[in-house]
Amino acid sequence: MQHYSRKTASLAGVLFGLVFGLLPQAAWGAGERPAQLKVGVFTFVSGPAASYGMPAKNAADLMFESLNAGGGLAGVRLEPVFVDEAQGTDAVVSEFRRLVTSRHVPVMIAALSSANCLALAPVAEQLKTPMIAWNCDTHHLFLKKKYRYVFRANTSTVPEFVAYAAYLLQKKADVSRVGIIDPDYAFGHDAAVIFSETLRRFRPDSKLVVELYPRLGSPSYSTEISRLLAAHPAVIFTNFWGADLENFVRQALPRKLFSQSLAVIALGTTVFEEFGQRFPQGAVVGVLGDGWYHSPAVRANPQAQRFIKNYQERFHQVPVFPAFKMANAVLVVEAAYRRALRENKGQWPDSERLARALEGLRVKTLTGPLTLRADHDGLTDQIVGVSRNVAGSPYPVMADMVRYPGELVTPPVDADPIQWIKTLPADYLERLPKPGSYGP
Amino acid sequence: MLTPIVIDGLSDAALLFLVAVGLTMVFGVLRVVNIAHGSFFALGAYAAITLGLWAGALGLSQALSYGALVLSALLVAALFGPLTERLCLRATYGRGEIAQMLVTFGIFLILDDVQKLVFGVQERQNDAPLSLLGVCNLGGIVYPVYQIALVGLAVVVAFSLRWFLRGTRAGKLVLSVVHDAEMARFSGIDTAKVSVAAFTFGVFLAALGGSLASPITGAAPGMSAEATILAFAVAAIGGLGRVEGAGLAALIVGLGRAFAVYYAPAFDRATPYLVMFAVLLFRPQGLLGVVETRRL
Repeated sequence: MQHYSRKTASLAGVLFGLVFGLLPQAAWGAGERPAQLKVGVFTFVSGPAASYGMPAKNAADLMFESLNAGGGLAGVRLEPVFVDEAQGTDAVVSEFRRLVTSRHVPVMIAALSSANCLALAPVAEQLKTPMIAWNCDTHHLFLKKKYRYVFRANTSTVPEFVAYAAYLLQKKADVSRVGIIDPDYAFGHDAAVIFSETLRRFRPDSKLVVELYPRLGSPSYSTEISRLLAAHPAVIFTNFWGADLENFVRQALPRKLFSQSLAVIALGTTVFEEFGQRFPQGAVVGVLGDGWYHSPAVRANPQAQRFIKNYQERFHQVPVFPAFKMANAVLVVEAAYRRALRENKGQWPDSERLARALEGLRVKTLTGPLTLRADHDGLTDQIVGVSRNVAGSPYPVMADMVRYPGELVTPPVDADPIQWIKTLPADYLERLPKPGSYGP
Repeated sequence: MLTPIVIDGLSDAALLFLVAVGLTMVFGVLRVVNIAHGSFFALGAYAAITLGLWAGALGLSQALSYGALVLSALLVAALFGPLTERLCLRATYGRGEIAQMLVTFGIFLILDDVQKLVFGVQERQNDAPLSLLGVCNLGGIVYPVYQIALVGLAVVVAFSLRWFLRGTRAGKLVLSVVHDAEMARFSGIDTAKVSVAAFTFGVFLAALGGSLASPITGAAPGMSAEATILAFAVAAIGGLGRVEGAGLAALIVGLGRAFAVYYAPAFDRATPYLVMFAVLLFRPQGLLGVVETRRL
């Protein structure tokens, strides 16, 4: 039997690593047109977050089908490869690596969860694989970090929650006593800081009287609801989502929490259909961007109308904003490939060329214009309104809408977001469009 | 501020007790560390919601959803209790806790997937039992009457269980098997029958906990694991196998969590485990547990 020395074994290990480490790039680096383009799509399709993640999965199915029906990308069919984010961040990172190294997936639409985006971004860089964040909105993703291959097809927590505070301030709501109940992770804590700092910038007397951060996936909010009722805040802000939001609203409704205080239910539109006309009336709601299915921009867009019609026929539901975020991310992938093909005279782009095509990309999405900024963050408008029941609709609509232009509610590239909020000009609110100025 | 804290603490304690009592009883009777306990809790919740929604879809009176809560627990117990005890647990008796834990963990994993297969991955809920009873105002805070009723129900379950075990012939048979299975067998007691009945009753209690909690919490994938972990924490604090201990532990943890939410929200999640740590540090057998001498 032949024995190998430790040195030979180490050398073999290094060579093995080099060969297999370079393989994924070699697999799509030659400019050959592949038989099909696999696209990794990360979302929650199980667990409590699935009620938010499944609409996105449904949207991805429809968008890829529609692209393929139109001949694919320059004749190349697209095949989504779905990854369930419910398996936890470690497993999601492993799946990302496996898709790149074993299944030769050259581009990823990832992810829904901010924690997963933060974990996946360095991996995408390491594997030189373009990654389009489709929903995660933590502003820490691009704060003081420069990525080559990571982009975001939506906005960050900063414009999203500045918009809600601005809406309240413009409506001259009583914000003297504020209660916050958010999920206990970056999304919840970041939103609380951004929202309360914006209020304080223009109303220094605004006071946080209660701040609660129950863990993600709590089945009962009974004690938290009692605490909020006991504190008597004028405004209650929450950015719960998925099953957490459903549970919170369901448990708070009979306890008259939303009658006592003005509610800002940031992701409320995602559960309009679930609650129907029982949803609290007059609550400030929005779509964390511009993905409202009934906005004037969407109604004027034939592609968006086809998408809504197909979605309703197939899934018997209205596409809520996570569906639009996913659909828009697919459009970003399509636009980037088309641009890269155009700029490379029809040569199929490698990951480097694809990343270059994503730089500064401007896309007319289903819901409005989207620009990928110099820091790779997305810039879109923010739509905010209030929930209102209307005759003939089984669930509420957004009324008194405003569409804040993205550049007015988003800090400049490289600016510290909290410092930017603290130094907003005194006439800032007057420069913004007024509530009720958007829509019919 | 004290009134709402006490009410919230008691209602949380009621839910915690209902989660933990089945686990502690099964350990007390069969000496089985049942990791699948949370799965039966979740099945009870899913069954109650499904039955309640069916009743609603058939146009039956919504009051029937209360019957559905108990009926679903009975169905889960009848279906899974004897089957699990006969097919899986019986082979582990006398083979140590490791074998039992591995087997019940296997059952937990299988049932977790079965839930997803049968009930899907989306959250399910039926709040008819919650809304039918309306609300009441206590200490200036609005509470659902169902939530308050749950406290009474947990007390009823605790006393009924105590009466059953101490005051009925069947209960005394169970206790004799707990005390000394070998001696009970020699006295002519069919210990195999007692074991299957006791385990099925434990499954019933777990499923009843899930079904009674479901109008408040709904049901979603992942609830089995959470119920198992909480049940173990409460049972360990009270003393594994001690029903009264589970009640006392649930009360301490429930009130502790309520105080945390009002005065130190950051400690809310850690409360059950901080209490467990403090108790086990000074009384490793739990608050009402007894130190047992091991027979050789």
